[in-house]
Amino acid sequence: MDGDRIQDLTFVNSSVDEISHLALDIGGSLIKMVYFSTNREKPIDKTQNNSSKDNLLSGRLYFLKFETSKINECLDFISSKLLHYRGVQQYGFPASDQNTIKATGGGAFKFADLFKEKLGISLDKVEEMGSLVSGANFLLKSVSSEAFTYVNSQRNYVQIDHNDLYPYLLVNIGSGVSMIKVDGDGKFERVSGTSVGGGTFWGLGKLLTKCKSFDDLLVMSHQGNNRVIDMLVGDIYGGMDYLKIGLSSTAIASSFGKAVSENKELEEYKPEDMARSLLRMISNNIGQIAYLNALRFGLKKIFFGGFFIRGHAYTMDTISVAVDFWSKGEAKAMFLRHEGFLGALGAFTNYQRVEEFPCTASLTGDDNQNPLVEDLNDNGTIECCVRSIN
Amino acid sequence: MICTLIFLLILDLVDGDGNFQRVSGTNVGGGTYWGLGRLLTKCKSFDELLELSQRGDNSSVDMLVGDIYGGLDYSKIGLSASTIASSFGKAISENKEIEDYRPEDISLSLLRMISYNIGQISYLTALQLGIKRIFFGGFFIRGHAYTMDTISFAIQFWSKGGAQAMFLRHEGFLGALGAFMSYEKHGLDDLMVHQLVERFPMGAPYTGGKIHGPPLGDLNEKISWMEKFIRKGTKITAPVPMASPRTTGLGGFEAPSSKGDALRCDESNLNVGVLHLVPSLEVFPLLADPKTYEPNTIDLAEPNELEYWFTVLSEHLPDLVDKAVASEGGTNDARRRGNAFARAFSAHLARLMEEPAAYGKLGLANLLELREECLREFNFFDAYSTIKQRENEASLAVLPDLLMELDSMSEETRLLTLIEGVLAANIFDWGSRACVDLYHKGTIIEIYRMSRKKMQRPWRVDDFDAFKERMGFGNKKPCFRHKRALLFVDNSGADVVLGMLPLARELLRRGTEVVLVANSLPALNDVTAMELPEIVAEAAKHCDILRGAAEAGGLLMDAMINTQDNPSEKLSSTPLMVVENGCGSPCIDLRQVSSELAAVAKDADLVILEGMGRALHTNYNARFKCDALKLAMVKNQRLAEKLIKGNIYDCVCRYEPAG
Repeated sequence: MDGDRIQDLTFVNSSVDEISHLALDIGGSLIKMVYFSTNREKPIDKTQNNSSKDNLLSGRLYFLKFETSKINECLDFISSKLLHYRGVQQYGFPASDQNTIKATGGGAFKFADLFKEKLGISLDKVEEMGSLVSGANFLLKSVSSEAFTYVNSQRNYVQIDHNDLYPYLLVNIGSGVSMIKVDGDGKFERVSGTSVGGGTFWGLGKLLTKCKSFDDLLVMSHQGNNRVIDMLVGDIYGGMDYLKIGLSSTAIASSFGKAVSENKELEEYKPEDMARSLLRMISNNIGQIAYLNALRFGLKKIFFGGFFIRGHAYTMDTISVAVDFWSKGEAKAMFLRHEGFLGALGAFTNYQRVEEFPCTASLTGDDNQNPLVEDLNDNGTIECCVRSIN
Repeated sequence: MICTLIFLLILDLVDGDGNFQRVSGTNVGGGTYWGLGRLLTKCKSFDELLELSQRGDNSSVDMLVGDIYGGLDYSKIGLSASTIASSFGKAISENKEIEDYRPEDISLSLLRMISYNIGQISYLTALQLGIKRIFFGGFFIRGHAYTMDTISFAIQFWSKGGAQAMFLRHEGFLGALGAFMSYEKHGLDDLMVHQLVERFPMGAPYTGGKIHGPPLGDLNEKISWMEKFIRKGTKITAPVPMASPRTTGLGGFEAPSSKGDALRCDESNLNVGVLHLVPSLEVFPLLADPKTYEPNTIDLAEPNELEYWFTVLSEHLPDLVDKAVASEGGTNDARRRGNAFARAFSAHLARLMEEPAAYGKLGLANLLELREECLREFNFFDAYSTIKQRENEASLAVLPDLLMELDSMSEETRLLTLIEGVLAANIFDWGSRACVDLYHKGTIIEIYRMSRKKMQRPWRVDDFDAFKERMGFGNKKPCFRHKRALLFVDNSGADVVLGMLPLARELLRRGTEVVLVANSLPALNDVTAMELPEIVAEAAKHCDILRGAAEAGGLLMDAMINTQDNPSEKLSSTPLMVVENGCGSPCIDLRQVSSELAAVAKDADLVILEGMGRALHTNYNARFKCDALKLAMVKNQRLAEKLIKGNIYDCVCRYEPAG
């Protein structure tokens, strides 16, 4: 997958011209990058004709990710883009901007010196939760067909009413999970979280299956059967539903519970089955905690974001079922197409000019038709305009 | 059933008996910990896995906030650098395989992940339902300090201190107990807390890190087990016979506990004893407020206090063993059992020193009772029987002279002399180190007379005048006569014969029925309900009042037969009765008394508690619905200072009128 991504980057590198407004979200496991690139082939005349004070740049938002442990790939990429980056000065960016990148996430602190040393770039740190929220708000308000529910393997896009968006619960599943109550632009509170998140899936999954990448692990989980390892209600009650408490016999009573009673070693379990159990355990847990928090604050809408989900059908299905089960059908889990890039987008919107401009973005990237990993994030782009001020 | 509890962590909402609903749950529970843990660490048992966690450092496996922020706190949202950002988040590292991680670290990380998660979901569920108290049960916890810390921390963290996690000592047996209770025909539905007595024998089932071998069955096994440890010279703590390493299991994360580090040892596994169902136990009906009643006067939660009493008990131990062995004829077998008892009791003490709450809330009464139980466990049923016998005989021999002396006095003087006598005779106490030393200096009667001579009023606590007034002296009110008095007696020998019996006789003479309340089982040299009739019968040989009363109370079976042709005389006498109190300790917890005592108490309007154990160590602050008199000589310097700001051998005569 890393190779694939590099190819994407090369493609981007060769076909797109001017890069500006590069923003980073450097998390514990992944670096998410959003950048804006003007399209030379389609210069917007209107912009050029406008007064010099109101330049609108038309272009595309690009979304990329790198593993944090391979930060050098990210540095190389930025380094290769710096030539173009310098070129944007003609559009009126002050020289000082050239050496500053908006960045959020813990890595914005951790790697600040590295960026300075290797690229001579200062990271302008944007607060993490605020970034997630502005990123989510940006997507929900500006991008049509961004949010969807996932029921019976069907994506149903949700029309977002701008006047009735708030309050909502934003659940960002990165390495860890943050749950944020959002009351408006810049009005939010981190109300909860859990350390059982994407990092747990990947970390535990790697220990259990020796799998080489997060995405491989996801693919594996699709082929697995969790009944082999999970203790189901039916296993305890002899195949009968434990109706009194509303549990069906296939409900999981204890994740990995069967590994207790069987004398099987780690090697005797299929990696696929373990990946499946792990995914269900974590997705279910996140769904439950998210629902409980939504309930606590009387929030009807729950949006799930973060790079854990990756449009993965089974993950979304488990989270949806968990929210549905615990809320007895009253709450619906909603997912975002650009889920992984909330923080990076938030940092991006933190650039003054973007912030000023009411973006009217529309999605142009083709849906990836891979049924397992319906991952929009690598090659989906958003067309949008930003205003530049001379 | 217990298995089910391991796997299914059920959050039950309990409104009252039988009124509950399963409101939530999580599939991430003990089974997950064990299952995942077994796969990842190759541990053979749950306990082994738990033990591993105590030596772990989760920072090598978990991604902490500091790892993401380069060692900085994310202070804006209140996360410190050591907070776990992502459980197992560091295990994604490229070039490390499962073998490169320490099993200890994996176990700890897993334990934290699951405990924290359970804590969080329980809190959120409680919040949803507006519940403040959260009880945690299920075999997963096993009294494991780290698990409890983590859950408590999670609850405290998420509730910002608004809710508290509570744990159950019998946590793992909820389902099994429930199943047991559902036997309707056993009539267990009305089971009350006062009917359950918990004992902690060696080898009883217990929770915690280790189970060493099979539970100990018969006495022989117990003795050889103790001897084995004596031979090896191993210091043991009960009932876990090996001292575990004192690791805290604290990794690089913030301490999840409000407790200081002192208690954070891995031995804080709580013990679960054997619950004895004693349906005949009842709450003493004359307690003014049973709900707020606390038997123990001294709170052993204070470390100094605890240490002091442990020292007292430890020092007294060799003497006690000698007495116990002698009481069984000093045979080799008795000596073996005696040594085993000493080991076992020392082990209990060592255990409690480390974790005072290990056996539940600890008071001095519990400690003394534990000692008696431990003696009985090693088949010493009456360590002081010889001494008691000897002292009873010696005291009974001088009783007639004492009674004659008393009869020559005016009623008013006599009352004072009688109370003085009770206090003076209370000096005979084998539970007191100071008094044991005294015994080597003179005969019982000499000590008694010397003691009485020293009875200079005012005593340190002296409500005698109020009591005397109540008894009808020194005022113009018509003489008040109590209907029935309960006399809680203490030691054998002079204490009961020369102190309490003459007082009982005086009450009888005034027409008050007297019930002597004594222990059901031997404790130290305390007189038991079994022994009292014989003592009374002996005393009655020289005293008509006692004889008539004893006959009326049914104490003198032979005499009753003899006087059957003269029933009118019998009826005219005020009865003297004896009932057992239902316990076998030098102290008394009035929430658990025999049903006989509860029955006779219903007509009583005067309670007299005598002796340190029942009037000072316990019940000094107890309030009664009727008149109460607490009489004791303080034979311990520390207690004297603490309780009455006085000195050793000071006396307490505390009178509290009804209401």
